[in-house]
Formats: sequence, C-alpha cells, structure tokens
Amino acid sequence: MGSPCEVLTDGGNKQLADRVSSVVATEAWRIEDKFSRYLDGNVIHRINTAQGEPVEVDAETGNLLDFAATLFEISGGRFDITSGVLRAVWTFDGSDNIPAQDDIDNALGRVGWQRATWADSCLTLRPGMEVDLGGIGKEYAVDRCTTLARSAANVPAMINFGGDLAVTSRPVTRDTWKVGIEGPTVDSAEKLIDLRQGALATSGDARRFLIRDGVRYSHILDPRSGWPVPDAPASITVAADTCTQAGMMSTLAMLRGAEAEDFLAAQELLHWCRR
Amino acid sequence: MTATTRKERSVSATLAAATCALLGTTAAAPVDAQEEPKWDFNTSLLYYGEDENRVQDVSLKSIIRRLFTDDRTLTLGLTVDTLTGATPSGAIRQDVPQSFTRPSGISSYDVPAGELPLDDTFKDTRVAITAGWQQPAGEKGLLSVGFSASKEYDYLHTGVNASYAHDFNNRNTTVSAGFAFASDSIEPVGGAPIPLTNMLDVGDTSNRAGDQDKDVLDVVFGVSQVISKNLLVQANYSFSQSDGYLNNPYKVLSMVDSVTGDTLTRTPGIEGGPSGIFLFEGRPDERTQHSVYTQAKYFMNGKVLDASYRYMTDDWEIDSHTLDVRYRWPIGDSSYIEPHVRYYTQTEAEFYRLSLVDDSLVPLPQFASSDYRLGNFDAITAGLKYGWKTRNDNDMSIRVEWYTQSGTVPAGQLIGNQASRDNYPDLNALIVQFSYRFSR
Repeated sequence: MGSPCEVLTDGGNKQLADRVSSVVATEAWRIEDKFSRYLDGNVIHRINTAQGEPVEVDAETGNLLDFAATLFEISGGRFDITSGVLRAVWTFDGSDNIPAQDDIDNALGRVGWQRATWADSCLTLRPGMEVDLGGIGKEYAVDRCTTLARSAANVPAMINFGGDLAVTSRPVTRDTWKVGIEGPTVDSAEKLIDLRQGALATSGDARRFLIRDGVRYSHILDPRSGWPVPDAPASITVAADTCTQAGMMSTLAMLRGAEAEDFLAAQELLHWCRR
Repeated sequence: MTATTRKERSVSATLAAATCALLGTTAAAPVDAQEEPKWDFNTSLLYYGEDENRVQDVSLKSIIRRLFTDDRTLTLGLTVDTLTGATPSGAIRQDVPQSFTRPSGISSYDVPAGELPLDDTFKDTRVAITAGWQQPAGEKGLLSVGFSASKEYDYLHTGVNASYAHDFNNRNTTVSAGFAFASDSIEPVGGAPIPLTNMLDVGDTSNRAGDQDKDVLDVVFGVSQVISKNLLVQANYSFSQSDGYLNNPYKVLSMVDSVTGDTLTRTPGIEGGPSGIFLFEGRPDERTQHSVYTQAKYFMNGKVLDASYRYMTDDWEIDSHTLDVRYRWPIGDSSYIEPHVRYYTQTEAEFYRLSLVDDSLVPLPQFASSDYRLGNFDAITAGLKYGWKTRNDNDMSIRVEWYTQSGTVPAGQLIGNQASRDNYPDLNALIVQFSYRFSR
C-alpha cells in the first residue's frame, strides 16, 4: 500500500485483536499482490503488457474497472486510471524540473480511458497504454478489510492505511475514535476529528511539488492537459460512509483545483480543505 | 440551487451507488463524524442574595478551555464577585440600642434595641483566576497541574495543585490522588485584632496587629468504578490541614453578666465606640479535617439520578453530613429539567460560644467564636435547573434555588434573658444562575 498500515482495536482482548489484525493483513496483502503495478504476473501486469490485445479479467478486477469507468465519467475525464504514464514525465521533488511540452504531449498520446475498450469482462488498451489502480486500491482495501474485520470479531476496530481509514463501529471504552489530520508539519495534528461511524480519507501531499518562476506546481496531474492542476489545495480530507467514497471525493475535489471548495460544498459532505 | 450545483450534487449520489456495486454491500452505516472543537467557553452569571439586606453577591465566572491534540487541555478561569450587604457581627441582641466601632476603627455604627447586630460595612470585590493543564501520562494515566490566585480587598490567595488519575480494568476503574496547597495572606481592614481583646473606642488601635497568613494543605484519594452500563460510583477520602491565622477578624463575642445574660455596658468614647464589652473572637491556629465523599450516578434512558453523601469531621469537633440529590430529566431532544435538593447538618465547634461570661472565678476560654457558621445548624437547598440547546448547538441553563439555614444555640449556653431571645441568626437566600456554553 506504500504506507504504514495499522489496525486499532478498542477493548476486547489480545486474542480478538490478533484475529482482526490477521484477517486485515491477509486481505491487504491479497489486494496488494493482485493489483500492484509494481509486481509481475498479476492482472495489472497482464493488462499493461498486453500490447493491444484484449485481456479477460476476473469479477473483482471487473468491478474495479467499472468503478474506474464511472469515476472517469462523473469527473469529466479528470480521474483516469490510464494517466499513470504521465508520472514518467513529471517528477515532483521540490525542484524546478518542469518537463518539456514535447515529452508531455508524447505521454498524453498514451493517456485516455476513452481510448480503451472495456466490455464483456475484457479490457483492451492501445499499445503503450497502462492502467494503475493505485488511486482506488488503498481505499478499496480499507473498506474490504473493514467489512472482513466486522465479521471476524465483535470488537470495535479502526483500519488505517496511511491516513485513509474506516471504523467498524463506535468504540466502547470511549465516546469516539479520535483522528488527527496532519498540519503543514508532520508531527503536529492540525485538527482532531471525532469519528463514530464511517471513514476518512485525505488527498494531497504538501511535500510533493515543483516550483519554477514563483509558480508552484502540485503533484495532482490533469490527464486532459498533462499538466498539474493549477491552484489545487495542499490537502483535502473528506468524511463519508465508506473510505472509497471519502477517498474518491477528496481526489475529485483535488482535481478541481481552485474550485475544490465549491465542489465539496455542493456535495454536502463533511470535509476539511487546507490551502 | 443552480444547475451546476445540482449536477455536482449528483456526483456524490452516483459515487455512492458505484461504491455499493464495487464493495458488493448494501449501503454502509452513515458516517458520523465531526471536528473536535478546540475551544470551549463556559460563562455564568450568578446572583446570591440573603434576605433582610444581608449579603448580596453578583458573580461572573468564565472558564475557557483549549483542547489540544493527544487529550491535552489548558483551562483558564476568571471569576469576578461583587459582595455587598451586612453580616452578623457575632454580638447578641439586647433590649437596648447598641453601638460598635467599625472594623476600620475610624467610625462607629448603631444597632436598634432588639435587633441582631449586623456589621453593614461588608463590601468587597473579589477577582479570582485559575489555570490548569491536563495531559495523559502513559497509556492509562492522566496528570493535572494547576495554579490559583484570588484577591479581595483584605485577602490574597495563591495556590498550586496537582493530581494523577490511573485507569485500570479496561478503564472501568479509576484511582486518583491529588493535593492542593494554598498560601493566603490576610490584611484585615484596620489591622488584625489581637484575639479575645476588647473592641476599643474609635481611634484606639492599640490592640491591632499587622498582616496575617495561613497555609492550607489538601490531599485527596479517590476511586471511581463503572458498575454497569447504567451505574457509576465514586468514593473519595480527603484530608485538609490549615495552619496560621484562622480567625474572622471582624467577628466579636458579647461579654455578658453571669446572671442576667445581658451584655455588660460601657460608655463609648467621645468620638464613638462600643456601648458594651465585646471581645474579638479567637480560634485555634490549626485545623485538621477528614472527609469521606461517596457519589452514585444512575443512568436510565437519558434520565440521570445523581446522589452523593459527604461526611466531614475535624479537630474543632465539627461533624457534618451532606446529602445531595439531583435528577436530570430530558424534555424532548434538546432540553431538560433538573430538580435539586441538598440537606446539610453540622454540630457546633467545640469553642463555639453564644457569648462570654463575666465571672471572676472562671477564666476566659482559650478559644471562642460566636460565628454562626461554626454553630449547630441545618440547611436545605432546593431548586430547579432548566437547560436547553440553542439552535446553533450551544448550551444554556437557568437555575433557581432557595437556601434556608436554621440553627440552635446549645441550651446549656443560654444565660438569664438569653433564653427568651432569638439567638441564632437564621438565614434565607435566593440563588439564580444563568449559564451559557459554546464551543468553537
């Protein structure tokens, strides 16, 4: 998952805690192994190396691709699981290393879900195109693990994968789960959120950016232009029923750049936006 | 709603449906989250008024709490009191008018025949501040430290306190220990009178001493236990040791004839002075108190019964019992009423005297005070509180209570004419408090 993953249980005993964490760890590794773009031999690897041939996928992968297709649609093309190739062009290391427009254009030629054919459990990409479920996978894993944890043991638990988290139920030894949202510095929580039910997810990483001529480029890329989304907030945290909804909503808002706050306000979801 | 926002709104509905399909679950339980407020402001305005023009207190109190991450809390408090009115001087009623030198020593006042002598110079403004810091200590501990100070015209208090609470047994049991130390200095108006010396004529300050001080150490040990989902019980033992000047510098005792019980008379000086023999009170310079407090809170479908009992005993031989019962009764979702009854009873201090007897065969006692608060009395407080949530989720409440205190002077202390007089100054008071609390 590329980040620290933890399970917190409240009350109960060691046996219950062990059972929950074992169920969660097993599921997290399963999802990692199956959908990581860094591993050879999994379904993502098969799709990305198909060289224009159709790849038939299993039901779970199909559900994720359906979900990605819906996101592409409702975001007007801003959320695109084929945009990963742009990351080979852009490196957000705090430098002024802006890529050449030719390189961006070249990468953009291999981006665009509308160019993929997804039907009858078969995905066909054009040669050179790639999919990356990294933008969905972590939140999906949190929700899967939360569902499994809930049925594995009757003990309140919080599943937290690098700040994207969900709870199985209200805690018993205290009134709420308390979640700190990181401020501009890593070790200070800027806000504290009382969470009783549901999930929280945060998008944005203030440490990943480029600066040139006084313009700051966030690491949020708009796959339609190949350029960073201008005026994106430093971080967006959303509370929702599931971690997937929270994570997608914060990502979609981030892709709106300057309009992120207006977009979030229209969703009537509890959210925190930091510029 | 514009077309755009309607379209944007449908994003969240579409996303919710797509998530359900992805996770293969029916709709998840709705999210329940809120940002924890960082600031908590609690302000109250209290009126306390005793009948018959005795003490009136208007008190404005504000508590500001700043919540930090990791359960750390800073609490700051400010209280401003304005006190006016008259308070019993400790002298007894007489069938003739009486006169007294004021505590300042620069003028005198008269009390009509048959009336309880009240000192009407009682006027003060008190400003008190408190500061407290609370933070977890380890997994199960909570550490609190605090500072307090208050200033009145004739009194300066400074204090520090600290306590530690530890949770056991899945946080069902909490054991705590704490202490408070106060160092107070008293600068009585006109100087502190030497105990058991006579009230002198206006202008005569020969029995006035300088500033005084006292120290008070309190130690508390407590345990609270969750018995069931509905019942929480708590018990404390506390010990308090006071050392130093424990007198009320403005209280006197009448010196009476051993047969009639009437106050011995004297002729006031030219500029005024006492019409009788009145001696300033004298109390021991230390006091040790022990008290045990027990409390139970019982929760029944939103209703809360809160009952407590305290027993206190001290080496001044005052024993007291306090029974306090509150019942919180919700009305709808956002308001409640809470009836409250408190009963208090105490025995008199060993050196409590209605008056001192002029008898050449019996020496003056070492200690004596006729302060009615050291006497044998019962008190009842009864009242009602109504609280409600405002539209923006702030808490408001109004509390109205009546306090009535009545006491008796031990029959053995009554001499001659005293038996037919009303000796103990009974007290009735009205308490009205308005509170407002909001968080940001």
